[in-house]
Amino acid sequence: MEKVDRRTTLKLMGMGAALLAAGGRVMAQQTPTADQLVKGKNANLIVLSQRPVVMETPYDLLASNPERTSKEILYIRNNVDLPGYNTVEGASPQGWKVEVGGLVDKPFTFEASELFALPQTEVTMVLQCSGNGRTLYNPRPSGNPWQRGGVGNVTFRGVRLQDILAAKGVKVSEKALFITAHASRQGNAPEFVRSVPIHALENALLALSMNGEPLPAVHGGPVRLVFPGYFGVNNVKWVEKIEFAEGENTTAEQVPRYRVPAIPNTHLPFLPQEPGKRYPYTLQNSRANWLVTLNSFIFAPLEGQTVEGPYVRVEGVAFNDGIVPIVSVEVSTNGGRTWHQAQLSTQGKTFGWVRWRTTLYLRPGEHEVMARAWDAAGRSQPLDGNIAWNERGYEYNGVMRVKFSVA
Amino acid sequence: MKKPFLPLGLLTLGLAGYLALGQYTLPEGPGKDLVLAKCQACHDIGFVARERLSRDRWDGVIDEMVLRGLSLTPEERAAILDYLATYLGTEPPPASPPAQPASSPKTGAQVYANCQGCHGPQGEGNPPAFPPLRGHVEKILKAEGGRTYLLLSVLYGLQGTIQVEGKEYAGIMPSFAWLPDEEVALVLNYLATWGTPQGFTPYTPEEVKAARAKVLSPEEVLKHRQGLKLP
Repeated sequence: MEKVDRRTTLKLMGMGAALLAAGGRVMAQQTPTADQLVKGKNANLIVLSQRPVVMETPYDLLASNPERTSKEILYIRNNVDLPGYNTVEGASPQGWKVEVGGLVDKPFTFEASELFALPQTEVTMVLQCSGNGRTLYNPRPSGNPWQRGGVGNVTFRGVRLQDILAAKGVKVSEKALFITAHASRQGNAPEFVRSVPIHALENALLALSMNGEPLPAVHGGPVRLVFPGYFGVNNVKWVEKIEFAEGENTTAEQVPRYRVPAIPNTHLPFLPQEPGKRYPYTLQNSRANWLVTLNSFIFAPLEGQTVEGPYVRVEGVAFNDGIVPIVSVEVSTNGGRTWHQAQLSTQGKTFGWVRWRTTLYLRPGEHEVMARAWDAAGRSQPLDGNIAWNERGYEYNGVMRVKFSVA
Repeated sequence: MKKPFLPLGLLTLGLAGYLALGQYTLPEGPGKDLVLAKCQACHDIGFVARERLSRDRWDGVIDEMVLRGLSLTPEERAAILDYLATYLGTEPPPASPPAQPASSPKTGAQVYANCQGCHGPQGEGNPPAFPPLRGHVEKILKAEGGRTYLLLSVLYGLQGTIQVEGKEYAGIMPSFAWLPDEEVALVLNYLATWGTPQGFTPYTPEEVKAARAKVLSPEEVLKHRQGLKLP
């Protein structure tokens, strides 16, 4: 190929374009957009799986809604597809029964519609898939390739599980160490069961609404058992059975799925698994993805942006499991050699995310900013998130880095 | 000096784009059909096709699926693991076996390999999840609107409980939208060979293409079915 004349060049270019177009066509045919799969969702959501429905919020959409994540853009990680529930409309609570049993003195069943007559409680909380950030692990873990958009800040409203137990005059046995929730199996949906430690009863909520609207069917409506401070997977959608139990449930969603390796009775800040290797998950040598790990995100500037200088506003959110307050968020522009404190929007304990911001003086040129949160329990984020590598890529909370330019 | 490389570069770019965008189907290789048959009842196949894992970790994934109810013979397990580790492994996959599967036109029976994991090699069905096709397809084709329904169910899948010959089936049918138009038509015509109603006109790729215009959910396909008068 010494010389290629103009005509050949054009021909080859045409072929390339045709191939590209063909690729696009194939994709258009095969991947419906988010709004085609779930009625009422923003079409820009990234579809990670069509069935069961899994979709991620594009990071810029998440960042441009720092207060509350609306039902239109909230991510979806469904393990179960209930026929007819792929919509952000609410589902009818009429005839929806929930059974409460296990280690209680009087097992009972209630209908979701009964809940509206009881005192309502509201909680704003971070809902986050425990696989969020999975693509940042190396080597690549298995599962849906979440970037950072498997998270949202939402307000649930409903009846505290404790309140309905009290209303029915039911006592939980002292032997009960776990709460196990089962999702509906209508339409022959596969079994979905999760157990959380009994401590979660303190804030457990039977949610009926989200962000002031009926709880969207695709997000678990008409009734979802919500545990503020816990990873998304524990907040069982379409709940139909709640059991108080002595031990963790042993179905696949509890073990080996949704677990990370752990050494019993230690609190090591890293996980004892060699990157790239397998781990024989058991109930003893690992723990479930329960409490949300401390994390922070940079919402501005965004990756690759060019911003006006020299004063640059850097902002974002930070959150933890809500057990203690977030006490500080620090930013660094020199790879972590020195850190600068940002201002936090709130001081107390919260299950929602805390907004933070600061202004940096930066010269024109390329910069990389890092953000790191600390909470009152002394917990922080690893500079190298890969230290927590696990084969399914759960609970990533490495310090976020954003590259941008100052004009 | 640089000029000659430009068209080559463009071509490579086009090819890369095509490959990147076309990654929703599994690469050709021995065991592919088995993987499709076993994984698709629960997963959107893109979920499997985009993974790149070591043999060891694929082995772990299969263990997990068996825990969740996947049934496999030891031979099937070995074949699936070989396929996954070879074509969706951490190393680049070997060049596809001599282009014979891609270039030689498929027959409807070959395309049916995608269906037999659930509906059985002879379309006999697998209660209580998967209904029979042999004997039943003919009745669907005879019903008004049945022809379209059959095409839609292959393209978009079906979810929800259905009645076939007075028996209840509650499996989940995945979407086969990733099959080329030609192959969808082939497999539909193959099903019709088990019982062709009078005056049946074979499905054409054009008809399949037209049906792709409006994307339906598996629940919408179910509604379509409920509108038919079927035994």
